[in-house]
Amino acid sequence: MLASVVALLLSSGCAGLSGQGGAGGDLPAPVRQVLPNGLRLIVQDHRAADIVAVYLYVGVGVRYERPEQLGYSHFQEHMLFKGTDKWGPGYIDRAVEGVGGRTNATTSFDYTDFYIVVPTEATEMALQTLADMVFRSKFDPNEVAREREVIFEEANIETDNPKAAIIRQLYGLVFADNPYGSPVLGTRPTLSAATSEILKTYNRQYYTPENMALVVAGPVEVKAIRAMVDRIWGVVPATGYQPVPAPAPRPLAGPVHRTVERPEQQARLAMGWQAPPANDLSGDAVDLLTTILAGAESSRLAKRLRDQERLVSSITMNYAALMGGGIVTLRADLEAKDLERVEQIVLEEIVRMQESGPTEEERQLAVIQFESQHAFDTETSEGLANAYALAETTWTLEAELGYIDRLGKITREQIRDAARRYLSRTNYAQLAFRPKP
Amino acid sequence: MSRRSLAATLAAGFAALGLLAAASLAGAADGATGAVARTRLANGMTVLVRENPTAPVVGMSLMVRMGTRYETRQTAGLSNFLQLIVVRGTTTRDGTEIVSAADRMGGSIDAYADADYAEITATALSRFWSDMLDLVADVTLRPSLSDGTAQAVRDFLVRQIRNRADKPYDAAFDALLARTFGDNPYGWDALGLKESVERMDRAALLAHYRRHYVPGGMVLAVSGKVKRQDVIARAERLFGPLPAAPAPAPNTTPPPAPAAARVVLTVPGAQSQILMGGLAPSLTDPDLAAMKLVSTVLGGGLASRFFSELRDQQGLAYTTAAREPLRVSPGYFLALLGTAPANQEKAEAALREQLERIQKQAVSDEELRVAKAYLLGTLAMDRRTNARQAWYLASLETAGVGYEFLDRYQAQVRAVTAADVQRAAQKYLATLRTVVAEPPPK
Repeated sequence: MLASVVALLLSSGCAGLSGQGGAGGDLPAPVRQVLPNGLRLIVQDHRAADIVAVYLYVGVGVRYERPEQLGYSHFQEHMLFKGTDKWGPGYIDRAVEGVGGRTNATTSFDYTDFYIVVPTEATEMALQTLADMVFRSKFDPNEVAREREVIFEEANIETDNPKAAIIRQLYGLVFADNPYGSPVLGTRPTLSAATSEILKTYNRQYYTPENMALVVAGPVEVKAIRAMVDRIWGVVPATGYQPVPAPAPRPLAGPVHRTVERPEQQARLAMGWQAPPANDLSGDAVDLLTTILAGAESSRLAKRLRDQERLVSSITMNYAALMGGGIVTLRADLEAKDLERVEQIVLEEIVRMQESGPTEEERQLAVIQFESQHAFDTETSEGLANAYALAETTWTLEAELGYIDRLGKITREQIRDAARRYLSRTNYAQLAFRPKP
Repeated sequence: MSRRSLAATLAAGFAALGLLAAASLAGAADGATGAVARTRLANGMTVLVRENPTAPVVGMSLMVRMGTRYETRQTAGLSNFLQLIVVRGTTTRDGTEIVSAADRMGGSIDAYADADYAEITATALSRFWSDMLDLVADVTLRPSLSDGTAQAVRDFLVRQIRNRADKPYDAAFDALLARTFGDNPYGWDALGLKESVERMDRAALLAHYRRHYVPGGMVLAVSGKVKRQDVIARAERLFGPLPAAPAPAPNTTPPPAPAAARVVLTVPGAQSQILMGGLAPSLTDPDLAAMKLVSTVLGGGLASRFFSELRDQQGLAYTTAAREPLRVSPGYFLALLGTAPANQEKAEAALREQLERIQKQAVSDEELRVAKAYLLGTLAMDRRTNARQAWYLASLETAGVGYEFLDRYQAQVRAVTAADVQRAAQKYLATLRTVVAEPPPK
């Protein structure tokens, strides 16, 4: 449940194309400005509805946590909804829902994101509420104790959701000894040790204007937004915060195979490879490669394993470009007896791709998937706002704006070479969920 | 698919949003978008078109009057089975060719059945709108319903039914539906029952297809960057030849009387799921708006009582919400909460206390104001994408109330008073059934 909503939010990639004839259509270009205190502000005029999306990305997540701090980025994020020096717990939810709006937040590896989506006339309220949350939260000790129990429940939900559990455990295998292999939710000992004071200190260290990207998208004027942001966000002093570069993961030496017995009768297979980090443009070819292999409904592996041999009920492949290093994941739902056969066929298809690359039709079809994803993002203000804030945090807005154009120029040979370089037949991790006998 | 679609399943969200309406966001694009054109073809089929030039995309929904409401215990799941198989092969294209064609248009095509309707849903880049409409017409009018595909889909469905029983929430929900509705067709999930689905063959699918895929109950809705006249003309050419026939009647077996029964199931998992539910007003019942506000005040959003009191103040849950889907016949109200087994007893008592309090005390004006804003805001935000617009147009037309229903409904919601909320709570929450799914003792 949770995962699918998060997927909805995070899958809004490939924004941009401003002013070009492609899927972007008639949107004006976004305006990017940097406030004197270092806050990056991006404003997108988007007139599809009388709704404004405010997105904030903060450069903090699991990869910034020391082992004894595991889960603090996430715990701290929860506390930002639990009262500020001006307002008690529950105020934020009532304020936003009371105008018909929505708010939520997500903690990830490289960043933590927040959004408030409201009718246009409530834009200033949204900007003020969000600033209060991130800079003036109270961290009341009683609230900390209560919220800890909520997070323990969140971990139980993840355990009960095999789709989430298999990918999380696969990250642990592909990114062994790297923070990207750690659980976002932390562990019972680390969460139990977190006090109000510890979480507040953590908040003050990372929630600084220089470590934030703020995007406002909707039927708005840049000048008016800038004036509001100056008044509300511009007065927060810079702290001189300097981010540390993401550590590159140790190369995966494999194959690593692991089997976990689970209560469900549905078996699942996951496979993972290390891939280029977010700022590496060679990742563009990996995007097309994963789409051609198993990222689209008519991908090679879906056709063969789902439609022809009927060994899987679903199969998907995904490339996640994290800042320190990327990961390609493959996931299939199948019956336990077919686990080995399916893994064998996946490897066969990888070899075939490494030998002869994709067809021209496959290349075009993959490009159109991304063009389309971008076009559907432009239906709503939050689709664009999220894509820009994410790019500003883990990549660059410029790289994002040229994304679809670049994908269109990737050749079949480049896709074949990406398969040779990244989809090793030996250095990969495999994880199987089997029903308990 | 995108490089930025980071391990969605790994990020940890704050709220249990998945249980709210599947709202993407905000709405009321009325300034930038055109009105809806409704056309009745000579054979009785309805075509609805909404021009929306804001993004270069199109959403389509083709619905027929078919779904669990038209099934019996013996045919439970037949509607959804048929939907799955119509998009997996026509007389000229196999399943792979269908998904390849959709992929080439930067879109998708899929089909499923719900309680009151069955939908073929499609999206595409708008420059491919006519090709996509052709594809929708092909699967609607010329499905092959081949034996081989039927067997594969049946195996898939039987596994899906098996998998539902493994998931604590789904298992509890299905048990609650079965007891609340009995032989009334809302008593089972659209997937159907193992005993019924295992027996379904091509002959049953074909008979169901012939009975339900008739123009009398068929609605096509298209929303996006398209020209109204072009869509209507093409729809007429594609669907006009279908001979006229009226839509079939639903199964009107009444549900059993409410009872305050409690059932405990054992399902492996880390959490216990607590569900309490009963019957709720239909789409056309005058109590609808007041009861929707009961659901919203209790478990509508982050400001709701369940969320703020059971989760935020008592830390008893991560997921807790109330649900009350719009249904043509009387549907259900459901309160739900997932919690650690150690908290189960306390959480169940706290949930019950919430359901009693709203019957005893009137809601405050401020609480009612926030609930109305939330309910109307969710609706507005959910109606922004073309796919959702097409869905609303088609499903309300299929339900017999038309998209104009939404204007009346919004006015009714605005007019609800605190006394109305209390009356509705007393009427619908007085006798609820409880189902608990708990893990086996360690």
